[in-house]
Amino acid sequence: MKVLVAVKQVAALDEDFAIRADGKDVEADFLVRDLNEWDEYSLEEAVKIREATAAAPVEVVAVCAGPEDADEALRKCLAKGADRAVRVWDEAVGGSDAIAIARLIAAVARREKPDLIFAGAQSADHAFAATGIAVAALLEWPHAAVITHLAFTPGAASAVVRRELEGGVLHEMQIDCPAVLTIQLGINTPRYASLRSIKQAAAKPIEVLTPAELGVGPDAVGEDGSLSRVRRMYVPSVKRAQMIEGNVAEQAARLAELIRERTGGAA
Amino acid sequence: MSDAQAVTRVLFEDFAPAAITAFYLIAAAAIAVFGFGVYVGVRKYRRGTAAALEGGLLARFGTMIGTVLSHRTVAYRDRAAGAAHRLIFYGFVLLFIGTSTITLDYDILGPLFGAHFWYGTFYLWFSLVLDVAGVALAAGLLYMMYRRGWLRPPKLDYARPDRQPGDADYDRSGYRREDWAFLWTLLLIVATGYLLEAARLVWLAARPDVWDYRWWSPAGALIALGLRAAGMSAVAGGALRMGLWWFHGLLALVFIALIPFTKVKHILTALGSLMLRDPLAAQRLPKVPAEQPRAGVQYISDFSWKQLLALDACTKCGRCHEACPARAVGAPLSPRDVILSLREFANRTLESAQLPAQAELEVHGKGPGQIAMETLWSCRTCMACVEVCPVAIEHVPVIVQLRRKLVEDGAMDPQLQGTLQTLHKNGNSFGEGRRKRAAWTKALPFAVKDARKEPVDVLWFVGDYASFDPRNQKVSQGLATLLHQAGVDFGILYEGESNAGNDVRRVGEEGLYEVLAAANIKSLSAARFTSIVTTDPHSYNTIRNEYPDFGGSYPIEHYTTLLLRLLQQGRLKIARPLGLRTTFHDPCHLGRFNQGYEAPREILRLLGCELIEMRRCRANSFCCGAGGGRIWMPDPVGADRPAHNRMREAAEIPGLQVYVVSCPKDLTMFEDALKATGNEGRFVVRELIELVREALGHEAAAPVAGIAA
Repeated sequence: MKVLVAVKQVAALDEDFAIRADGKDVEADFLVRDLNEWDEYSLEEAVKIREATAAAPVEVVAVCAGPEDADEALRKCLAKGADRAVRVWDEAVGGSDAIAIARLIAAVARREKPDLIFAGAQSADHAFAATGIAVAALLEWPHAAVITHLAFTPGAASAVVRRELEGGVLHEMQIDCPAVLTIQLGINTPRYASLRSIKQAAAKPIEVLTPAELGVGPDAVGEDGSLSRVRRMYVPSVKRAQMIEGNVAEQAARLAELIRERTGGAA
Repeated sequence: MSDAQAVTRVLFEDFAPAAITAFYLIAAAAIAVFGFGVYVGVRKYRRGTAAALEGGLLARFGTMIGTVLSHRTVAYRDRAAGAAHRLIFYGFVLLFIGTSTITLDYDILGPLFGAHFWYGTFYLWFSLVLDVAGVALAAGLLYMMYRRGWLRPPKLDYARPDRQPGDADYDRSGYRREDWAFLWTLLLIVATGYLLEAARLVWLAARPDVWDYRWWSPAGALIALGLRAAGMSAVAGGALRMGLWWFHGLLALVFIALIPFTKVKHILTALGSLMLRDPLAAQRLPKVPAEQPRAGVQYISDFSWKQLLALDACTKCGRCHEACPARAVGAPLSPRDVILSLREFANRTLESAQLPAQAELEVHGKGPGQIAMETLWSCRTCMACVEVCPVAIEHVPVIVQLRRKLVEDGAMDPQLQGTLQTLHKNGNSFGEGRRKRAAWTKALPFAVKDARKEPVDVLWFVGDYASFDPRNQKVSQGLATLLHQAGVDFGILYEGESNAGNDVRRVGEEGLYEVLAAANIKSLSAARFTSIVTTDPHSYNTIRNEYPDFGGSYPIEHYTTLLLRLLQQGRLKIARPLGLRTTFHDPCHLGRFNQGYEAPREILRLLGCELIEMRRCRANSFCCGAGGGRIWMPDPVGADRPAHNRMREAAEIPGLQVYVVSCPKDLTMFEDALKATGNEGRFVVRELIELVREALGHEAAAPVAGIAA
């Protein structure tokens, strides 16, 4: 019994960031990297399945398509209970869109033959919410998205999942395994990975594979293998909010003045 | 006075040889029981882990003897109990030495060399000294009975905040019975000793070498006069003497036999604990060796033998219970009960002949003797318990080592968990970008040097709260202005500074602490400076006391000593003395942790402020409640808080105008508490830096004027 958890090392913007010279991304210096928040939940869900059953051994494998610094995200997964970690990368992968990344994850899945694949419902940085579903399409497996509850017994032929729909309606469905599930925030409470456990996880090996080793050709990844490409990344010029300074009386006066300006003196 | 050999007490006078043999057998049995008890105790301690001890044993022994003889720690903040204990201690010690002297004369020197010295002048002085010692012992015991029976200080009621009525180990009446049994037994031994002495005098009144010297035993002689006046004959005296002799002797032997099994054992364990004292127990927490499989304490046997010994030293005096800010606001923590719980647990598990299975040694939980996580997370690591403990129990490292295990398990408040993750990611607890750390300097009319890029004289380690909290940023700008004005060559590390890690370490997240400390040490080692100054007492503590363990030793001071020098040297000139009525709150990490009591007070004096001390000040200062990572955890809704408790204390000062703090977290905690306790408008909370600026005539300072005097 095996659960494959697809994870991503996402980037968060630092204060006062700058756009890269080619205009297609933020300068790497201004990015703070971390494991995608949704992936914390999907990993926790996988580890919980393993912990719930002592009888049937469950293996949790974290997989990530990313450069070397993504090892940090994988180490966090190992610290939180993943049994193994696999990272896929070579230079050609840069510039891949979500579908191209999904080809790599699907290739790993063909090798690992998991019973379930978990992915975060979306990534915190690019928010395509596409990778997991694309993996299901490539593997021709059933999938369910934005899962808020999962009932699954290792070895069972199907799982029961719940999804939240608009208006507070719950959608409960049965899905045949193997399947791909994309996990929503709040499905569980991810455990804390202490720095000590992260350091100890550093001793566990991370298997590094190239697309070629997985049988994915150079034309299937990177910008060449992607049907969508980033044109530019920019901050639109907008009027910013303005703080009214001064004591309460001054602030009130200034506010009244502003309202008068905007309403043409009618107020 | 006579040197006649006849002036002595004939031992076993009129005893049949069989009776003497029986007595020796019983005595040997008592000593054997005592010895077995000591063995069980030592075996228990040896089941703990190794303890790192610094310094020579001889020096430690000397310090311990000094502490015990002076009773410094016993009399600390409880002079009456200290005086009574001193009487008991010296009375007991003299009586013990006296009995040993007789043994030396009668059982060792006599049989071996035929030599005796226990007669004549020596004997008479001996009698007098021991008579006085007995009176002292009895007086001390009677006061302790009065204290327990009539004064009934709350710290001795053994009420547990960490258990509910009905819990298996809620009931502490066994301790209370033991306390009384101890006092009564000792008192009975003393009383029968005097009666025995008197009965012997009545019995031997006809012998001049006894009766003529009776006043060398004044207490016994007085009672003997009473007995004779009541009509007791010599024969009746003899009979009474024989009966009392056995009663007194057997009671004393039972007492000796029971020493290792009762609270009396503190006469041994307290000596050990005092000798093993680490003067920086709370200031410098133990490292986790890289090869250690588990961080922190999970099983009772994970404690060091020193800690297991210290558990046995506790006398339940309740001073830590009384001093604890968490306990004061009704949190489920009493340092005393942590120690007693662990002791009960250790006694139940580690005293058995066979070490129980590991699962039974787990100390975390809600079972008897176990420590609940709510208890551990209530601790502010303010060190009040460690500081006041008369027998050198080090509660803070015990609690932090237990917390380390909770952190490994992720058993913590979600808000704290989030903060730790933020600290790992951003290097600060505010979740702000690293680059924003020095944003507060932008409002200054001058540039603050980047100590990473150019040498500075003074490197200012700003700390998280002073860097990111908007209210504290104003104070930081104030200090920068003062240093600039005084011509101090100073700089900061900009984004090279991370949270110093003091509170992270006290939370128990040792791995994250190591990361933060290593990052700061890297930045500090690359910078060129003469000394460090910090606005944050927490950073001050860890850089001063803990960074050396990680390879970073730097001269560091809190800003109060630097400002005091600048004022004394005239580099900052006071334009208008403030004439305010103030009180000063000692931050735990500046005061109790690092003895920085004087500089802030001296600055207040130079500023022309009147300083009214609060009831709890200096080493007895009351924590604001933010320490030990509590600032990152929500307080229970509706419950009292240490800061509120403190504000009410300050509000008792008539005409108080300014509550002065010198710690960024204190400013945050107490400005909130001022409002919450309804004292807003009555007095204000100010950073000392703000008062200095006001006295210097700075316009930007928030003036205290207008507060009702």
